[in-house]
Amino acid sequence: MTHPQKVVIVPCSGIGKTYGTVSREAAFEVTEDVRPADTQLVALSMLVLGDEAARAAVAESPAITIDGCKLACATKMVKESGGTVAQDFAVLDVYRRYRQFKPQGIAELSEGGQQLAHALAEEITGVVENITSNGDGGQNG
Amino acid sequence: MTEFLETTVDKFIFKVATDRSYSSEGLWAQADGNRIRIGLSDFLQQRSGDVAFADVKPVGTVLAVGDEVATIETIKVNISLTSPVNGKIVEINPAMQDAPEAINQDPYGEGWLAIIEAADWEADKAALLDPQAYFKLMRGQAEEEAKKL
Repeated sequence: MTHPQKVVIVPCSGIGKTYGTVSREAAFEVTEDVRPADTQLVALSMLVLGDEAARAAVAESPAITIDGCKLACATKMVKESGGTVAQDFAVLDVYRRYRQFKPQGIAELSEGGQQLAHALAEEITGVVENITSNGDGGQNG
Repeated sequence: MTEFLETTVDKFIFKVATDRSYSSEGLWAQADGNRIRIGLSDFLQQRSGDVAFADVKPVGTVLAVGDEVATIETIKVNISLTSPVNGKIVEINPAMQDAPEAINQDPYGEGWLAIIEAADWEADKAALLDPQAYFKLMRGQAEEEAKKL
């Protein structure tokens, strides 16, 4: 079975914030290592800039957003770009589920941060599998 | 209805509820008889960041002013919070277990930490700051913080 549309992953673009780094590390793990054939990374900054390719990607495919803080920029921008958010993750909520993985560091995550990013990547992968196996985008505010 | 003193520093707005007393650390204390509800000021919660976990000492814990009453872990820091009153913890906000973000969302309301049965509230209150005094202190602290941005 083929899936012509990839699941778009849009992480937080917060630079200088640990939770933003966790979100991006998790996104890289899913899109580059775990499910490269089924997923596509879209940079939030490109959506903010109104990049046509980025807007087209989120408009055509279900998106998983990863927000680093309560401003939820990734989720808001996907919606504003005409996309459908199949699942939104907040790093803070993920950390509450994995308290043993305390994230620290920015340019380079601590071991706990890397473990948290990996745990988040596993959760995202599960959602990707659900989406691709169902063949639809799902919907989650 | 609670009224607030309010100030804007840089892009941030900070409120101080006028119906309670404050420690210089930024904890508020509001009396209902000798039951004293405590929590974080708006400035303290904003400066600390989004709360991931809040661990309040258990019910029955006897505290002196300055004893640790709770710790909070935020996206920025781990903070030890000290009691503004002498007494015994008689109730803990259940939201601290399941939804500690209430501290950020409603610091003077749903985000309260605990209720302490005061040993001598009048004596404790005399050592705390009234809202105007805390507002002045807080504004100075906020302006200092803003210089670091």
